[in-house]
Amino acid sequence: MYHLRFLEARAKGRATRAFFPSPVARGVLTSALALAVLSIPVWAQTPDPQPAPQPAAQTLDQRLEQLQRQVNELEQAVKVAQRKQELAEEAAAEQAKTQATVTADTSGFTIRSPGGNYLLKIGADLQLDNRTYLGTGAGSDIDTLVARRVRPTFSGTIYHYIDFMFRPDFGLGTTAIYDAYAQLNYLAWANLRVGKFEPPVGLERLQNDDDTTFIERGLPSNLGPQRDIGYQLSASLFNKRATYAVGVFNGVPDASIGTDTAVSDHRDYSARIFLTPFLPDENALSGLGIGLGASGGNTDGEALPAFKTFGQETYFTFASGVTAAGHRTRLDPQTYYYLGGFGLLTEYALNEEGFQKSGVRREIAFRAYQVEVSYILTGEKKGFGSPTPRRSFDPLHGGWGAWELAARVGDWEAEKGIYNYGLASDTTSPRHLHEWVGGVNCYLNRLFKVAADYGKTDFGGGALNSNKLPERTIILRFQINFI
Amino acid sequence: MNSTAFCKRAALSLLAGSVLLAGPVKLLNVSYDPTRELYQDINAAFAKQWKAKTGVDVEISQSHGGSSKQARSVIDGLQADVVTLGLAYDIDSIAEHAHLLPANWQTRLPNNSTPYTSTIVFLVRHGNPKHIKDWDDLVRPGVSVIAPNPKSSGGARWAYLAAWGYALKKNNGEDKKAQEFVTRLYRNVPVLDSGARGSTTTFAQRGIGDVLLDWENEAFLALDELGKDKVEVVMPSVSILAEPPVSVVDRVAAKHGTTQVAKAYLEFLYTAEGQEIGARHYYRPRSPEVAAKYSGRFAHVQLFTIDEVFGGWQKAQKRHFDDGGVFDQIYQPGK
Repeated sequence: MYHLRFLEARAKGRATRAFFPSPVARGVLTSALALAVLSIPVWAQTPDPQPAPQPAAQTLDQRLEQLQRQVNELEQAVKVAQRKQELAEEAAAEQAKTQATVTADTSGFTIRSPGGNYLLKIGADLQLDNRTYLGTGAGSDIDTLVARRVRPTFSGTIYHYIDFMFRPDFGLGTTAIYDAYAQLNYLAWANLRVGKFEPPVGLERLQNDDDTTFIERGLPSNLGPQRDIGYQLSASLFNKRATYAVGVFNGVPDASIGTDTAVSDHRDYSARIFLTPFLPDENALSGLGIGLGASGGNTDGEALPAFKTFGQETYFTFASGVTAAGHRTRLDPQTYYYLGGFGLLTEYALNEEGFQKSGVRREIAFRAYQVEVSYILTGEKKGFGSPTPRRSFDPLHGGWGAWELAARVGDWEAEKGIYNYGLASDTTSPRHLHEWVGGVNCYLNRLFKVAADYGKTDFGGGALNSNKLPERTIILRFQINFI
Repeated sequence: MNSTAFCKRAALSLLAGSVLLAGPVKLLNVSYDPTRELYQDINAAFAKQWKAKTGVDVEISQSHGGSSKQARSVIDGLQADVVTLGLAYDIDSIAEHAHLLPANWQTRLPNNSTPYTSTIVFLVRHGNPKHIKDWDDLVRPGVSVIAPNPKSSGGARWAYLAAWGYALKKNNGEDKKAQEFVTRLYRNVPVLDSGARGSTTTFAQRGIGDVLLDWENEAFLALDELGKDKVEVVMPSVSILAEPPVSVVDRVAAKHGTTQVAKAYLEFLYTAEGQEIGARHYYRPRSPEVAAKYSGRFAHVQLFTIDEVFGGWQKAQKRHFDDGGVFDQIYQPGK
């Protein structure tokens, strides 16, 4: 009799397990059943000095019936709890369809409407540099800590098809708007962007300020526009194998962000095509990209360009009485190649720009190139954007972030006529620069980067320029970036 | 061929051409929870009839959920060409808050725009182990009652009012005693689903509760699907005449250019074919002929109307189901 009841209880246990997949529910029921079964022998073996008021079998049946009732009630309670949980989850899912979500993570702070048609992302881009000048390259080279970039970022989407970006900069003690544009993404083959942004010419210039391999960009970026106001059509075509961009802009001097208004009726026309022919496959050549950027326009009324070294010294000044006037063309062949942790980026810039002095206009050619190579030691993949460390920096738990070594060599040159036509003084403005830079980058995590670069720049070309000592600079950067 | 015949042929050709170019007409029927199967059959029959009559294909999409929740969706922009909801108040809400149809919408079709009726019955487990025969059995201690939430479900509101009406009748119209009765009943409700189909799931599939308060059609559908060896339908002595109404959503249909087909779709519900389909799905037909034909399908229950006992939906809604109303007072989750 006892065994029969025990087997019955075990059979009920199996049925319950099949009915209740949840371990918690099963646990509660198992405990109840165990108590029920255990209580039987305990009761049965307890010595009873008094005669039982009722026959033992009848009492046992009543007891079992009572326990069965309790188990049933417990089953119901568990089922009700599970169902309530289901309903709560359904209600939450339903609510998620109609309520905006707010998230805060490594990509910033995001507010997203149901379906994602409306999105606002708030991010920031902070760079603090410690510049140390070795030797006496120039009198103005004062060792300094500088807030290089302090840029809150507001970007997002409205009406599903329209992206926007607004990014001012409060770095270097100034206030300026760097990016302020809207982009209509209605046609996959032609996205229309309107506002202030990077015109499509230079390769490294189009790299995000936080993603450049070196703390400061190479010499070809001295010969391209930094930001300008205009219209642009662009798209990625043929399954990412080709990217094009064409645009019309106010026109700005080299390396400048302009004044946010046009200074003449002339416009700059920019275009760039970039091919990554081996995408989207993953093979040894899929990281190869090759392209050409170009622009044409007129410099009438513009400010004169200011060219800077790696240490951010302005090394070239025009003679007094020189103004920008005449045509300007820019040509920028460019390529990169990434394979595993290895990266190569090369760029050549050729400009012809019009200047005027004493009523005479001349066109001067400028040339610059750079070759930069890098290698990530910790196994992450190198690319046009920053790598994401496989393990964030946490030495106590074996995390060292991503470490990268990099080197760059570059040249910049103005044609000799710049002296012959009296546009610059060969005693103060070198017309030839040669630089090399070595650096170490440590990506502590997705947001935080520490970089240390050493750069040496040699000057030459002018009659007295051989006396100008090389600039040797160490820059240490702390960067926080989440956008 | 004379010129008149030529013109007719040309016009027909143009019409046919435009129809072919335009593709099928599309309708969205936003309905309440348990009508899925009914409208699947109605849609197929109507599409066939419409095609035969006009030569035009019609595709009808369905959306289902708790009646009030569905009305809210239409108010919020769900593009319903027609609504077929669980109670008139929900369509009144659409008229009042979104102005998508006139306030007198209920006068536009026969029987207050209610092509079929239903009532509230009990679904119990096989053998009726808790011996549930009538409303009084639902308030006994130890009886677990499954019902949807009257705040979101039309069927739940009908069920709540059916219980209230029974208690009023039993207590000679004493309102306080009716409230006590309904309070005791909802104390026995462990889970409130948002709609009738959800409650059926809770009762039938999750095995919760001793009795399900349900639409008659939904109860018989569960009986058909689960089998008589699993559940039984119990008809209470008294219940409410539930009148689920239908209407074209004028402004949406006009915008879609579907007004004509939407009207025809709802009128089809009143035809002999539409009424028979309804009866086969356990909706009580309005047509006397069809009702007679299917009389064996529907048990006799003493039914009262909402107008008789509660003075209409507007009053019932305001007193019982609006925020802060009687239901909010008597049902507090966790208590």
